[in-house]
Formats: sequence, structure tokens, C-alpha cells
Amino acid sequence: MLAVLLVCLLLTMPAGLDAFLDNIASNTRVSVHNKAGLVYAMPYAFTRKVRQIDGVAAAVAMVWFGGAFEEAGRVTFPNFAVEVEHVGAVYPDYGIAPQQLADFQRYRDGAIVGRQTLHKYGWKIGDRVTLRSTVWPVALDFRIVGEIPNDRAPLFWMNREYLDQALKAQARPGLGIAGMIWVRASDPGRVNAIMREVDDLSRNSEAETSSETEKSFFSNFFGSLKGFVTIILIVTALVALCIVFIAANTASMGVRERAGEIAVLKAIGFGQRVIFGTLLAEAMALSAGAGLGGVLLAIGVTHALRAFAGWSPSLGPLGSFIVTAPVIVDGAFLSLFVGMLAGVVPAYGAATKPVVATLHEVF
Amino acid sequence: MALPLSYSVRNVAARPARTLMTASVIALVVVACSLFLGLISSLKRTLVSSGDPRNVVVMRKGSDNDGSSQLSLESYQAIRFFDGIARDTEDQPLTSPELVVQPFFRTREGGRENVLVRGVEPVALAVHDDVHLVEGRMFTPSSGEAIVGRGVVGRYAGAALGDTLEFGRGRWKVVGVFESHGSSFESEVWVDVRALANDARRPFPYSGIRVRVATPADADPLMRRIDADPRFALQAERETDYYAKQAESANSLYVLVVGIAVLAGIGAGFGASNNMYAAVQARTAEIGTLRALGFSRAAILTAFQVEAVALAGVGFVLGAGCALALSVFLRLLLGGVAFGAATFTTNVITLRVGAADLGGAFVLAALVGVGGGLGPAWRAARLRPIEALRKA
Repeated sequence: MLAVLLVCLLLTMPAGLDAFLDNIASNTRVSVHNKAGLVYAMPYAFTRKVRQIDGVAAAVAMVWFGGAFEEAGRVTFPNFAVEVEHVGAVYPDYGIAPQQLADFQRYRDGAIVGRQTLHKYGWKIGDRVTLRSTVWPVALDFRIVGEIPNDRAPLFWMNREYLDQALKAQARPGLGIAGMIWVRASDPGRVNAIMREVDDLSRNSEAETSSETEKSFFSNFFGSLKGFVTIILIVTALVALCIVFIAANTASMGVRERAGEIAVLKAIGFGQRVIFGTLLAEAMALSAGAGLGGVLLAIGVTHALRAFAGWSPSLGPLGSFIVTAPVIVDGAFLSLFVGMLAGVVPAYGAATKPVVATLHEVF
Repeated sequence: MALPLSYSVRNVAARPARTLMTASVIALVVVACSLFLGLISSLKRTLVSSGDPRNVVVMRKGSDNDGSSQLSLESYQAIRFFDGIARDTEDQPLTSPELVVQPFFRTREGGRENVLVRGVEPVALAVHDDVHLVEGRMFTPSSGEAIVGRGVVGRYAGAALGDTLEFGRGRWKVVGVFESHGSSFESEVWVDVRALANDARRPFPYSGIRVRVATPADADPLMRRIDADPRFALQAERETDYYAKQAESANSLYVLVVGIAVLAGIGAGFGASNNMYAAVQARTAEIGTLRALGFSRAAILTAFQVEAVALAGVGFVLGAGCALALSVFLRLLLGGVAFGAATFTTNVITLRVGAADLGGAFVLAALVGVGGGLGPAWRAARLRPIEALRKA
């Protein structure tokens, strides 16, 4: 049972990554950023050029604010300054209430916050919060005007104008840049053409861009975690192998202890097949039961973990601990398989041993 | 009367399959355990060993790391001549102005990762004196050269001595490889600070300053003075504190790995002792016979205990060998295990199974050997010979 718990827990990590990539990433959204890296910005005006490309339904420029809330002094959820009038049209799939998007445009200090972050800090719509930027020399007050209704969304969006004016108030040049531009294509078939056009548009400029689909962006973003996952999977496989050995051993102990019973069963006329089948079924039922327990426990543990895990730059979506259906199926199959492997040898041995020999062992 | 050792030896010959299974289960447990411990200690080394207690990090107020800080040339030139800063043999202050940028690097597999590129002046090697070149030489300023950390070598396209790296807007020739006892510097690329500022079109030439204090007592007054200086709005903290804070963000990762390791250790240790238990229990009848022949309980207990420990020892040696081989294999295959740092850059840790990790695995194997063997041997030795024999 412990084994299945462990394996399920470990499998949740890559599964969380896959689930993240499949569910969150839309097939019509494209990320545009400077070819050299995410910290190399693009001129803000480039957003307008991107919007004019044929087939672009909407585009929004984002700038990393890197705001830290209260005591932590470091970024505990991703927060960006966005163009309030465009962001809703790029993320229609987020299901933000239209009224909240309207409020986001109305209030200069408005913010739209993902439900995960709302829950983590116990914020509600209407609350006021202060974030101190780790990137810009400002600390800004925000009024939460809306939420992204998804329990796993850690995002925090603020008004780009608000940050721009705060910087100008300090006699600094305004924002003038776009860290990333997110584009929504009017139909999935146009995505490749749009990516090509965007990159052509910026060729030989100060800031050459590279465009990619949302899925590719996030899988690259979290790609460095793959080696880590590989190691974890290798060790998991080792542990699973140990468990097969151990379970086989336990099963053979069980059979040995009941050698007498089996001999008596044979003596009163039960066939080899019946005995073999019964023993194997018993081993499998036992391990299936344990597997079920393990899966349930894994679900419980991941819920508990998720409660205080939250967003962290080192774990990314690995920290979201989602026990998906495939993970449960994997766990269940593993336990059945272990039961079968472990049960088959001793069951076969017990079934084929001559009655006399078995009885002899007992008396 | 002691039981002859040959009894235990012959047992191996009599039950080769079972003995092999017991030993290999222990070996597997040892492999899993030492790999996990190796991962944990490598992670810890990267997180904890970065930074020098004699160094002070100066950043813009409110920044939480190098990557988000900015600092002007004027503030650098002012701070450089503050009191309490160590000086080199030519009486130049040991202050290293640094610029941190996180450009994309192409991995050899075709993916891309953010790598921390640190623009430095040659004085950096004196301030960070645990960083030392192991191959090649230091870069020559303004000549498009770079030196790379050990963890970076081979992971990215062009990251090898003599090759050319492409990142940012330019191309950089790799002229040296450095190490720093496994700290996070080994996941960085160092280039000339001016060339980097130019490449990244940064409005400010630096992101921070690393300062070596003259004596430990100078650190606090220096940090207070920098914090309080109204001209620059800067903050200063000890380099060790700085990296400890950076490590906090990787805590969840650390806790996760330790949690998995503990679960795996409990599961595997429990199972292996179970296996050992079964191995002894299967021989109840033999024990009865030995008792009937007149061997004392103590003798039997000792013999079984010796056997269990020997078996665990064999399992440990097998497992340790496999773990070492596997870690080398993984190192070649993956070239290090990466995780994201707080600066959104990739930290590469080299998986090393060290003596301490094997020691941990040894403790587990010994517990399994002693604990798993003691119970059933004790029970069997306490059985009346006639009952033990009846079980046969």
C-alpha cells in the first residue's frame, strides 16, 4: 500500500506537468518574446504592429512586475502588468466575468488575481493589497476587482498604465517595453502563419523576436525539470522492483504457512487449477485492495500537500500535485501486476506439489 | 559451544536462490537509498555552500536577487572606496561590480533554458576566491570571451572549452572552465561586464556589487553605511545570508525530495527486513535440529545474526557498487540534474554519490540486517526443540 502511495505520488509530478500543458495551454495562443531571452525586452510599440497582422484576434503586452507581498520579500506568485483593454480578449478561456474585466479597465489600481493566490492569502474581491516590486523601484497599492476562476491559477494582473505613471512620477522614463506579447489567433490554422509573420516583422531590428505556441513556451519554460523527473522516475522504478521482490516473498510465506491447508484441500479432491487460481486470485485481491488504499491515500496526501504548496519558481507545475485519472490507473495496474507476479510462483509451487509431499511436510 | 561458520556458508550453497534474493533486495534498497541521499546532498551543497561569509552583496533596495537589481556607475565608484573593504596586493579594493542577465541557451537536446550569465571584471576571481579555473584561462576583457561553470559544460550547445557559445545578441568564445565546490556559481557563465551590458542594452551598467570585507568586524558597519546612504537607495547583506534566502525558494523542492526519500526508505527497509525474516523463518526446523544436537541458544542466535549481517554486508557492497555505477551513468546521460532557481535561471547540480551518502545507506542496510535477522532467530532459538522439529 505504501508502495502504491509512493508510486502515485511520484507519478503525479510528470503528470502534473502534462496536465498543465494540456489544460492550460490553448492551441490558438502564441507567445512572442525577444529571441535572446525573456529578460531581453521588446519595444512596446511592437505590440501594435503585431495586432495589425492578419488573423490576430487580440494581442496583449505583459511586463514582469516581480511584486513581493509583505514579509516574504520575494516573489511568491507570478505578477504582470498587462494592457487592461486587451487582456480579456486574449484569454477568453479563463472565464473571467465580463463585469470584472470592465472594472479592471475602470479602476487604474485594479487587479485580477488567480483563485490559488486569493485562497492562499485569504483575499476577496474588493480587498486592497500592496506589492513591492523587486524589479521596479516602486511599491503599489492594488484593489482586487476580479478573479481568474481556476483553483490552480496563481497569476496576478495589474494595469500597465498604473505602473507606467508610477515610474514617471519618479522622473524615470515610462515603461516603453513589452516583456512578452501574448497573441490569440482567430483560428488555429492561422497560428503558424502568424508566428512566421511576427518573426519576419522583427528581423534585423534591435529586438528580434521568437514566437512559439503557448504549449511549446511552457514546455520549454519547465523543460529543465525533466532531468529531475527522470531521476525520480528511475528511483521509483527501483523501489517498485524492490516491492515486487518483497511482495513475492510475503506471498510465498503466506503459502508456506498454509501448506497443511492446501494439502488437505488437495486430499479432498480439489484440482491443481482450482488451487492455483484461488491462490493467485487471493494474492491479486490482496494487492488490489492495498493498491486501492494506496491510491486513496495518495489523493488525500496530495490534497494536503496542495493546500500549502502553491506556486514556486523551483517546482513550477510539479508542485501542483494533481492525481489525474491516468495516475490512478497506473497505480491500480501496478498493484495488480505486483500481485500477479508475486502470487504466481508460490501458487504454482503449491498447486503442483504432489499431495503426499505436502502432507508429509505438515505431519 | 559455538556453531561452526561452515554451517552458515553451506546454507548459502543449499539455498542459493533465496539467499541471492535476500541479498539483492538489500542491494536494491541500498541503490535507491544512496541515490536519493546523493541527490539530497548534491542539492544541499548547491543551495547552502554558495556564498562566502567574508563577502557582502550590494543591491538596489527592494531587490530580492541579482537578476532584478540595478546599480549605477556612480554608486559603484563611491562604494568602492568605503572603509572596511579588503584590498589586494596592489592596494586596489576587492570590490567586484557584476551584471546578471538571464538569456536563453540552447540545450544539446534542442530545448532552451535560462542561464545565469554574470558580467564581471577580472577582480571577481579574487573576491569569489572559491571559484577557480580548472581548465583554460580567464577571459580577456572586451574580446568576446567567456568562462563557464562546470555544471554548464556539455549541457548547452557550444559550452565546452574552445567552442563558441551563442546567447544574447552575440557570440562568445569559451576560454576557461571553473569550479566552486559544487556551489551555484558552477551553473553560471562569466563574461566581461561591459561587453554584457552592451549586449543586453542595459541602462545601468551593473546589477550589484560583491565586496570582500577587510576583517569580519568591518562587515556590520559597512553594511549599515551602505543601507543608510541616501544617495543611492541600496541595501547590503552578507553573501551567505543572500544565498540562504535564495535557497528558501527551493525549499519546497528539497522537502519534496526528502519526503519521497523517507517514504521510500521506510517502505524498502520494512520490506527488506521482512525478506530477511522469511529467510530465517524458513529454517525453523533446522534450528530445532541444532538445538536437539545440543547447541546453545546463544550460539544459534550468534550464528544467525552473523549470517544476517554478512548477507546485509554483501547486499550493501553490491548495492553501493551499482549506485556508484548508476550515478556515473546518469551523469553521462543527463549531464547533471537541473532545477529552477529563484532568479528564473537553471541551476545544474551534478549528482554525486559521496561517502556520506553511502554511509547513510550502510546504516539502513545494517538496520535491515540486524533487525530483520534478530526477530526470527530469537524466536527460533527460544522454541523448544521438539516444537521446532515438529514444524518440519
